Amino acid sequence: MARRNVKLGDISKVTGEPLVTVTAEDLMSLPPPLEKKETAPPISLLSEKQRKNYESSLDGVSALMLPKPIDKQEEEKLVGRFLSGLKKLLSQDDNWLFWQPLMQTLDGCVRCQTCSEACPIYVSSGRQEVYRPTYRAELLRRLIHQYIKKRGKILSRLAGDDIELNWQTVARLAELAYRCTLCRRCSQTCPLGADNGLITREIRKLFSEEMGIAPKEVHDSGTVQHLRAGASTGVSPEAFQNMVEFMEDEIEDKTGKRIKIPLDKEGADILLIHNSGEFMSWIENPVAFSIIFEAAGLNWTLSSEIFGYEAVNYGTWYDDIQFARIALKQVDVARKLKVKKIVIGECGHAHKGLVVIADRILIGDMNFPRESFLPLLEDLVLHGRLKLDPRKNDFAVTLHDPCNVVRLMGIIEPQRRILNEICPQFREMGPHGPENYCCGGGSGFAIMSSTNFPDWRAKISGRMKLKQILEAFREVMDPGIRKYVCAPCSNCKGMIRDLLSRDGLGERYNIRYGGMVDLVVNAMTDLPKPFIEWE
Amino acid sequence: MGGLILFIFYGAIVFFLGASAYRGIKYASAPLHVHWDLYRTNSIYAQVEWWTKPGNPFGSKLGSMFLDILFLREFYHRNRRLWYPLYAFHAGLYLLIGWHLWLFVSAVTIDIETASSIGWAWGTFSTLLAFAGAAGILIMRIVDKDLKVFYPPIHYVKWLFILLTLLGGMVAVDIHFKSNMPALLKYVREQVTFADFEHKLHPALAPALHVLLAAVWLVYVPFGHVFQVFFRYYHYLRWDEVANKPGGEVEKKVKEFLKRPVTWAAPHIPPGRTWEEVATERANPGTSTK
Repeated sequence: MARRNVKLGDISKVTGEPLVTVTAEDLMSLPPPLEKKETAPPISLLSEKQRKNYESSLDGVSALMLPKPIDKQEEEKLVGRFLSGLKKLLSQDDNWLFWQPLMQTLDGCVRCQTCSEACPIYVSSGRQEVYRPTYRAELLRRLIHQYIKKRGKILSRLAGDDIELNWQTVARLAELAYRCTLCRRCSQTCPLGADNGLITREIRKLFSEEMGIAPKEVHDSGTVQHLRAGASTGVSPEAFQNMVEFMEDEIEDKTGKRIKIPLDKEGADILLIHNSGEFMSWIENPVAFSIIFEAAGLNWTLSSEIFGYEAVNYGTWYDDIQFARIALKQVDVARKLKVKKIVIGECGHAHKGLVVIADRILIGDMNFPRESFLPLLEDLVLHGRLKLDPRKNDFAVTLHDPCNVVRLMGIIEPQRRILNEICPQFREMGPHGPENYCCGGGSGFAIMSSTNFPDWRAKISGRMKLKQILEAFREVMDPGIRKYVCAPCSNCKGMIRDLLSRDGLGERYNIRYGGMVDLVVNAMTDLPKPFIEWE
Repeated sequence: MGGLILFIFYGAIVFFLGASAYRGIKYASAPLHVHWDLYRTNSIYAQVEWWTKPGNPFGSKLGSMFLDILFLREFYHRNRRLWYPLYAFHAGLYLLIGWHLWLFVSAVTIDIETASSIGWAWGTFSTLLAFAGAAGILIMRIVDKDLKVFYPPIHYVKWLFILLTLLGGMVAVDIHFKSNMPALLKYVREQVTFADFEHKLHPALAPALHVLLAAVWLVYVPFGHVFQVFFRYYHYLRWDEVANKPGGEVEKKVKEFLKRPVTWAAPHIPPGRTWEEVATERANPGTSTK
């Protein structure tokens, strides 16, 4: 089907082919050195077996590996469950946490499409209709008016309520909920405040909380594993303690001094919680935090209790109940440890989840002080609590803003003041701050690896960020010049790692990525050798 | 017929007030929701121990909202092309609202016979501005491929109706009252002082038609987008930074909501529990999706 011709009603079409197939020609152009138009299909085809077993009728991609119903009867049952979930979204009891913003968004869109151009996925994909931020919102709105809040026949016709609710509609909508990173750039751009990002999350919630449909990596090996093992990575307290010992070795290696990382220190001022993935993939990040906190003489601790060494909460992206369960467990660790406050490390969605969203589910002594590491780090860097020499960071640095920290939480300037202080060659991406673009791995995408979804993520959802990185370094692309993408968020780092690994881009052009504390430690004057290692 | 017009007009005003109050109460009594706000500048969270810091002052928020609504600043910055007709329409509308208020007050406070033609110029300019804006929007909605997307037929009907209402106003003022301000103000005085019922029961067609069309708008406005702007845009997206403090009003509300039942039916949610019960127990570890 030719692009841009997909209509709302097509969502229910029973076809042998996907509604849309994104071709290399459709994709947004990239700046040098990737300016050469791609020719190979950007997204690999599913195998015949996968096509037979899983739904992929939206765009030929299967993020959910949603099994096809075996017969008509099962289809009808699933459609019935979808409708039942839709009713619950509109119920003040079942959905009190989001009822008000949902209602206001359902009522509020004037279809000016201002949001469309703000969406990196819509633009990067060559403006495919199904990826418009308003496409899924309008579908939901019309389904609600057609099947739940019914209007009269004439009004219904005039309002365009003509979507057939069949299994195709349900299956495509389920996949469509995972073609948006919840970056809410569209919501920020909407002149009337209609929140299409919220609509995406509400659809995800319906599928998860009513039908038990969610990406395996986010639910089964995400929140379910988190609640069972105490960390989404499955790391046990014993394994974590070994990692802390390893960190002490690393610190000795980097600084020449052996320190004892405080663990389970009762009554500490700060309980620092990292994304547990940091310990497995980027241990230099918690190492850097430890060096800074010790050098500044802070009274802090890590926790080796389950839930105490894992800041992530994948429920933030798709399920209120899983979210609440995990947030309560995390806060409970701090409460039992009698620390004064929780400080969240470099993890974007943990910032928004635990500090902001959880604020209105925590009561009594569970209403525990929680904050971002950024204002604290700013205080340490700008007020002389650390001895820093910016000349040690004399290479090109750009900053990726995690959506959850800037647009969704309003921490915008501290990270800039830090980088301006310690990185003489700091340059902003365009646009940045609250107008930033998502890395492309937000809302779980960075960890989702089913079937051909990684292709879609690399070629479409991460495309705008890749463009921004290349543009930020346009003047310094010479491989002889070192370049650093500062990404203070684990998920974003994972996504940027994938983007830079494309055709060996990072290696060929000497671009590396890492966290913010890594740069701070690299600038510390009393380190005998550079903290950041360039290969 | 005249009685019906009279009933509809005054009824529409009563309905407008009643429906506005109903919408206001409905919004105010909607359940408390979790923080889901968005930021343009540094928020309270950009400070160490933010929970001890004061939020932005209410006055500056109110000033910002006033300027946004007066100049449609969001559209100006985000969608300039649409802003031009949209602003012409809204500026015309604001001026028309002001003009009608002036008519109502002047009709009972000034010597009608000495009314200057400035009043007429104000009304005519406002109507033409709003008409041009509305016509511009309608044309853009017809020809612009993006603005056509998902725009339901009922909204085209709405814009036609707006144009008709504005046209009706011009016909009433310039044809029926022959652009004569004293005649117009005399008519308005009859309406606002509830005088000369006999005259009201046998109204002239042009003003009666305009009043009828205006009455339809009075009924629509409480359910239109304008009314929702405050609650949607400002209340939850921009200003929702009230922290949940121990023992505070937010906590009290949260406690109430946690007692509400949860009926979601996925395997990881046990049936027959309240929010508090569901959130404080661990999910069945073996529960998986699909």
